Amino acid sequence: MSNVLRPYLAAVRSTLTAALTLEDFSSQVVERHNKPEVEVGVSKEVLLNPLTISRNENERVLVEPSVNSVRISIKIKQADEIEQILCHKFTRFMMQRAESFIVLRRKAVKGYDISFLITNNHTDIMLKHKIVDFIIQFMEEVDKEISEMKLSLNARARVVAESYLSVFNA
Amino acid sequence: MILLEPHNYIIQTTLAEKAIKPSSLDVQFVDFDGVRFHLSTPDRKTALLLSMNIRCWDELVRYGVNDILKREYGSLLRPAPEGEYNVSLEIDLEQLPPEGEERDAFFKSLAMLKRNALAAPFELGFQEQKRLEAAGSGQGELMALHYRDEEVIYVQASSDRVTVIFSTMFREETDRVFGKVFLQEFVDARRLPTIQAAPQVLYTTREAPLEIRHLPGLHDTEDVGYVTFVLFPRHFANPLVANSTITHIQLFRDYLHYHIKCSKAYMHSRMRHRVSEFQKVLNRAKTEQAVVDRKTASGRTMR
Amino acid sequence: MSLLAPIICDNGTGFSKVGYAGNSDPSFVFPTAIATRGPAAQPSRTGPALPSKPGHLASKRGVEDLDFFIGDEALANAQTPGYGINYPIRHGQIDNWDYMERYWEQTIFKYLRAEPEDHYFLLTEPPLNPPENREQTAEIFFESFNIKGLYIAVQAVLALAASWSSNRVTDRTLTGTVIDSGDGVTHVIPCAEGYVIGSAIKHIPIAGRDITQFVLNLMRERGEMVNVPPEDHLKVASKVKEQYSYVCQDIVKEFRKYDQEPYKYFARYEGEHTVTGRKYEIDVGYERFLAPEIFFNPEIFSSDFLTPLPEIVDGVIQQSPIDVRRGLYKNIVLSGGSTMFQHFGNRLKRDLKQIVDRRLDASVVASGSHLRSSGVEVDVISHKRQRYAVWFGGSLLASLPEFYSSCHTKAQYDEIGPSICRRYQIFGSAT
Repeated sequence: MSNVLRPYLAAVRSTLTAALTLEDFSSQVVERHNKPEVEVGVSKEVLLNPLTISRNENERVLVEPSVNSVRISIKIKQADEIEQILCHKFTRFMMQRAESFIVLRRKAVKGYDISFLITNNHTDIMLKHKIVDFIIQFMEEVDKEISEMKLSLNARARVVAESYLSVFNA
Repeated sequence: MILLEPHNYIIQTTLAEKAIKPSSLDVQFVDFDGVRFHLSTPDRKTALLLSMNIRCWDELVRYGVNDILKREYGSLLRPAPEGEYNVSLEIDLEQLPPEGEERDAFFKSLAMLKRNALAAPFELGFQEQKRLEAAGSGQGELMALHYRDEEVIYVQASSDRVTVIFSTMFREETDRVFGKVFLQEFVDARRLPTIQAAPQVLYTTREAPLEIRHLPGLHDTEDVGYVTFVLFPRHFANPLVANSTITHIQLFRDYLHYHIKCSKAYMHSRMRHRVSEFQKVLNRAKTEQAVVDRKTASGRTMR
Repeated sequence: MSLLAPIICDNGTGFSKVGYAGNSDPSFVFPTAIATRGPAAQPSRTGPALPSKPGHLASKRGVEDLDFFIGDEALANAQTPGYGINYPIRHGQIDNWDYMERYWEQTIFKYLRAEPEDHYFLLTEPPLNPPENREQTAEIFFESFNIKGLYIAVQAVLALAASWSSNRVTDRTLTGTVIDSGDGVTHVIPCAEGYVIGSAIKHIPIAGRDITQFVLNLMRERGEMVNVPPEDHLKVASKVKEQYSYVCQDIVKEFRKYDQEPYKYFARYEGEHTVTGRKYEIDVGYERFLAPEIFFNPEIFSSDFLTPLPEIVDGVIQQSPIDVRRGLYKNIVLSGGSTMFQHFGNRLKRDLKQIVDRRLDASVVASGSHLRSSGVEVDVISHKRQRYAVWFGGSLLASLPEFYSSCHTKAQYDEIGPSICRRYQIFGSAT
């Protein structure tokens, strides 16, 4: 982890840890319903102030806490066209498998690349600090993965071009 | 498999099979760039008829494809092709060359039917260049080959070179971006000392190269690109080299698209791996009783 | 522009059948095997060693994933040092998506030589395939290969469609019972109007491989195999099975016939040693009719599975909803190489008819002879295309003009996403 990245991730980690204080909370609007309040957004009094942590204009995290759920949206670094495509492909691939990721949202919040929704049920069945670990690790590795994919694409392109052109030498 | 092979696998294997055991047959199949084949035994089991339909036949005729096919296949060529096909070859299984290398070579040459047909404008271009070189200057005719719906090959000879221009069109965003990366590498690769002898490659998006800029009906969108190969006389110095150059350059588009698709497949493999790694991290968060893997009766996990 | 023929890919556990729609046979039939760099994921089950080719790509960095072989070439390279063989499909379902994606990649570009962007594809899936697998398949085909359109069909339904080519079939229905017997396992699958009745499907652990083994055992017992080199045993047994076997109507009579006139019924198989070229001959006797008999009297081969095929078929139909049972009895369709034995259909029909009639008689007695059934029609359809029935059915359906409207196109996929492939319109049924 580079030194510039560390404070950013540390900020996200402490924000998340603080935000993940969730409790069971029945809907105030519909009887016998229990919904993630941050998604419903009708009862203003149970929503907390959303918070954005920005590393720069291209990388930021939006944390929207509420009484029984937290929504975390991440904007992943995309320096150029290739990274944009790769990032888009990767996040879509992952969201396609949201079923097995429990806390992953099937659609990203507008303006972000990927979103997670953690409810009080999740904090019941999973260890809170490990969920935070997961998000942090995801943020760390997704950048790495995308730049690695980009490198490997370039390497491939070079091999491909060389093998095509070297035939003319013969 | 990095390079694509120039011959059609189905023709080769089917002929080899039928040479051993003739039987009646009627199959249709395709090759890259919308070329359609029909292999049948209309009269008797030992007389095969191989027909080919190629989109840009009229253009090929203008560039002398008939002479080339006559040279390659001679008496096999049927005077009138089968309906809705452009060219038909008759193969008599009773008069095959002797078994062994000679027969294999014969089958291979039949399997190269598409390659030989598409060679016409290139061969003409090479001849034209020789003529212009002797004359000292001038430009040959710009030969266009509309080999796909939206893509064209242009061949033009001048006194010291033959220019081959591919117009490329990517239907999808990902392909376009990947294609750009690949094509940029084609341009850069020549800097390597080992492949200095390769033809020069130029690549532009949107803007057509000077040679074809005057043509009407050129698209002017983000998805369109032009790849120019500059072939110097050393690339077609003798028939052997010229043939391999033609074979190779024809397959450029298919080669490019094949590798774009392979890279996407590779990305998928990577992503599958990464996603399963993330999955493991998240599973670590689960407390003991929550870990229930859904399994089928045979014990496989549902994934 | 005239549309190019759709591509039909029937990837089975043992063999893949691929080719273009409109033809009567697949262009390629090769093992669903892929040989890659690195160790095999499972112990290989390959034939004898074949001449090896060294991998020429190993030196290129960054494209290791292009260094692989599929089909027969994979088996040929299984012995090459550094390569390991993998079977990406297990029990009919795709087990390893990475390998499968690359397998398709080479099928399309090396063997079919098609630009996938120009073609529609028809793929097959086993009954009870989870919808997630469909989504993953769609993801590969639309995103990696950019194909024009995709249709995923259930194998059993295609086998039903293939039976339309038989001249005994008059109405083109997609209701019927499919008996699909390949190399590894035999399925009995009831279909109603193109939908598989999943709850009634039965699997029988007897198929091609077991028959071959049984033939081998019989010939070993009679001492015929002493002249045959041990490595050729299985090959000879499967040749004998394919060329000489048939289904008899009565074993006892058949045994008597053979004993009275052995010269008339015993056949002679001539083989050649693969390495030394030495010739050998063996007599083929009772195994000619005993081999397929294990479907009808499984106790002669196995001790754990004892239900004869006709009883299983009857059970499957009895478990299906009552309103389709007549249709299921009337249209029993055979598919796959292990149903190719002569008279197989007749025997099955006879035995099944007996079971059904016995039940009807019993119910007549039980009702005190007051109610008499009009009888149930039982028919088993055999046809010429049985061996690659699934593929052929696909070829048939994909050459209909309606095929294109039943497909999901790339544009639809881009709009909705992989979940679009959870549902496909059943087409081709009688309208």
